[in-house]
Amino acid sequence: MDCVSLNPFPEAAAFRRPPSEVMRLARMGCAHPTRLSFLRTLLRRVTDQGWVFDRPVWHVDNSGVGRAVYRAIGPERTYSLVAFAHDLPDEMRSDRVIATAWDATFAMFDGEPTEADLDRLQANVPLQEAGRISQKELSLSRANRSVRLFEHVVDRLAAGEQPNVTEVAAVGYLMRTTAVYGSGKFGAADLATVMDRPELNVPFQVEMLSVWLTRQFTVDIAEHLARVRGGARAARLDPAIKKSLGVGNSTGLGMAPFLVRHPILLNNWIMAREEALARVRAQSDADPNTVSEFRAALSDAQENARKWSSTHPSQVSKLAALRKDLDSISGYLALGSMSESDHPWDTLWRWGETQLSLEGQEALLALMLEPHGNLVDGLAECMVANERAAFRLDGSMTVGALCDRLEQAYDWALPIDFDLPDNAARFWYVSEEKLEPRIGFRFEEDGADLEQPLCIARLAKDLHVALQDWSRDAPIASFLVAHPEHRFIVRRVQATERHPYAEVRDNLIAADMLPIDLMRCKLAFFGASRFDPRSDKWVRISLFQDLPYPSDLSPEAWA
Amino acid sequence: MTVPADDPEPNDPTRSGPPLLQADGAWLSHNEIEQLCLKAARGAGMSWGLAEEAGFAAAWLARRDVDGPAAILSQITQADGRSWHEICPEVTAGQVTARDGQELCPIALGTVLCDRGNNFIGSKQEPLLSVGPITYPVLLLPFLSDISKLCALSISLEWSGRRVFVGPNGEVTGDIPALESEPSIHAQIKVGSGPKPANANALRAFFVSEDTLSGLNRYALRTTVPASEASRAGAGADDSD
Repeated sequence: MDCVSLNPFPEAAAFRRPPSEVMRLARMGCAHPTRLSFLRTLLRRVTDQGWVFDRPVWHVDNSGVGRAVYRAIGPERTYSLVAFAHDLPDEMRSDRVIATAWDATFAMFDGEPTEADLDRLQANVPLQEAGRISQKELSLSRANRSVRLFEHVVDRLAAGEQPNVTEVAAVGYLMRTTAVYGSGKFGAADLATVMDRPELNVPFQVEMLSVWLTRQFTVDIAEHLARVRGGARAARLDPAIKKSLGVGNSTGLGMAPFLVRHPILLNNWIMAREEALARVRAQSDADPNTVSEFRAALSDAQENARKWSSTHPSQVSKLAALRKDLDSISGYLALGSMSESDHPWDTLWRWGETQLSLEGQEALLALMLEPHGNLVDGLAECMVANERAAFRLDGSMTVGALCDRLEQAYDWALPIDFDLPDNAARFWYVSEEKLEPRIGFRFEEDGADLEQPLCIARLAKDLHVALQDWSRDAPIASFLVAHPEHRFIVRRVQATERHPYAEVRDNLIAADMLPIDLMRCKLAFFGASRFDPRSDKWVRISLFQDLPYPSDLSPEAWA
Repeated sequence: MTVPADDPEPNDPTRSGPPLLQADGAWLSHNEIEQLCLKAARGAGMSWGLAEEAGFAAAWLARRDVDGPAAILSQITQADGRSWHEICPEVTAGQVTARDGQELCPIALGTVLCDRGNNFIGSKQEPLLSVGPITYPVLLLPFLSDISKLCALSISLEWSGRRVFVGPNGEVTGDIPALESEPSIHAQIKVGSGPKPANANALRAFFVSEDTLSGLNRYALRTTVPASEASRAGAGADDSD
């Protein structure tokens, strides 16, 4: 969809933050989930459209092994998460992508599976990458238990008691997904085959639905094992404790290159979010109801920041700043400025830009969108991308015009001196071992000759240098006949013309680059919270924490 | 793609199903075909940007039930080790050849023609382009499709008395199986009217033979780096809570 032409708020453009501000790694690494995050869009849709959820199959034995089916029944179509529960010895539990066994494995079936479908899936889904799924499936995923919390919860419930809330808060989930594969992976249906369905025309809706139904499974399997162990004495999980549990996720380097590989998709995500912020800032006044919803969201955010813990040094300081910043916002509201000033949301935003840390500013963004659903929710429909439509480059563009575009959109890259070792210290590659993306040290490790094209700044600079030898009037088609090695970056440079937020404006091979910044940005768009980096290369998060369960929307099926 | 013959962990309790047969190939989604062919083309020495074009072409053909992956494998095997200088198309009035009479790469040729857009033939007076020799010419169709759509043209590809038409809707009709079987042709690309091809069927997976899969995988592996303990450390998430 061309969302620009449908834009009902042309006045918002003046309030939009420029890419030079938004697309910096340090800021992207402070991204917060917003109401435009993909899991929030999913929950809005299933709630507004009255989707019904149930669990028609639960064949799980007393050792917790078996299969289950969770149905999501929408107005036009049904999706079924097929779950396989396993009895995994502790020593085999690994979250690494190179693991070969998990506590539970899942596939999202497009429709309602027959027994034959379930048998076919049972022969493949538990194998994950080593198995094959079919065009009837939309995703493949797996999850491992939190050994510490899962056992504690089952134990307590079996004894007819509730788990210790401190233990629950310390972990925050019963199981964590270690990979959720969608969009045509391992034989699953291509996204393009289902994108005409409104419910899938927002990014990652299948994956989010899968994780949400998985969250229900994590509680169901814990209660099942508690019943096996405790019999009639066993308790159900207290609703408040249950609500505080999300699905954990450990995200490694594999996800980091995604945003770089999908520049148009990245643009559309950021553009939607930035347009949302701009629309809010463009409001000439703030009505009291909206302000009180903002206060409520702020209060929730303060509570969330209190519960959010991390031991990673950078996140520890970010969290301290965030808590202070949220208190400052609270103090700002107490001054009554929201009812007085002209364009009070914009005034609040500009105050925040001077007073808050990056973490606090991005949290403020999320808070400002929260009470403005009517104004911004429609933007969720603008976040998909037809990458194919932008694939064909314009060979008639002149060398001069391309140079001008480079100098404008890559002004952040051209001054970088890549002869300085710190500016080219890293290289991205794919490991032979598991075909997963990794990052190495160029001057210390082998393999830089097999570098992946994620060093966008250097590619842009190389292109700029090469173009200097050509007449400004020459068509880029001629240049590319002589220089096919620049084709990749020319395509990207041309795409920035209509996609201003397409590029991360930082050197992705610099010595001090933090891959977790890329991951956090992507995960925030998913709707992840409680980011807890465990190194500069992987981060633990929570999904759906404090949000409803399928059983809250269809309680009769879990009575 | 398939389970290794020697299961390294035979007691793995999650392996509740039988291993897949290795010899049968696999149904690949178009996304998988595009990615695999991109990597294989890169592994065979294409620039990243051209390798993207190879991935595009393979998936476009597979979507129309033509064995694009096999054609890509044949092409990169044939061109393996040949420099860009040798396969690079040279466009002169009404004619495209490779330097010194070498064989043209259909990916390179298709890309060059697409880049030239409205001007792809070079002469409005004589709407005809002689090309060749060109290897695995079926790989040219995805590019002619893009040109047809871009320029709202009907194009025909003619060789040895046979023809394939590309309509302004970007779809193809004609003697596609014959084109698919040709390892190398001299052809003429003509602009003009022709039958209007029907729109392609809905997308579905495409069956890739084991030979093609293993061949493409072999090239794709050339883009990967053997892991060292240093690089493995901290790359993934080993969570033990």
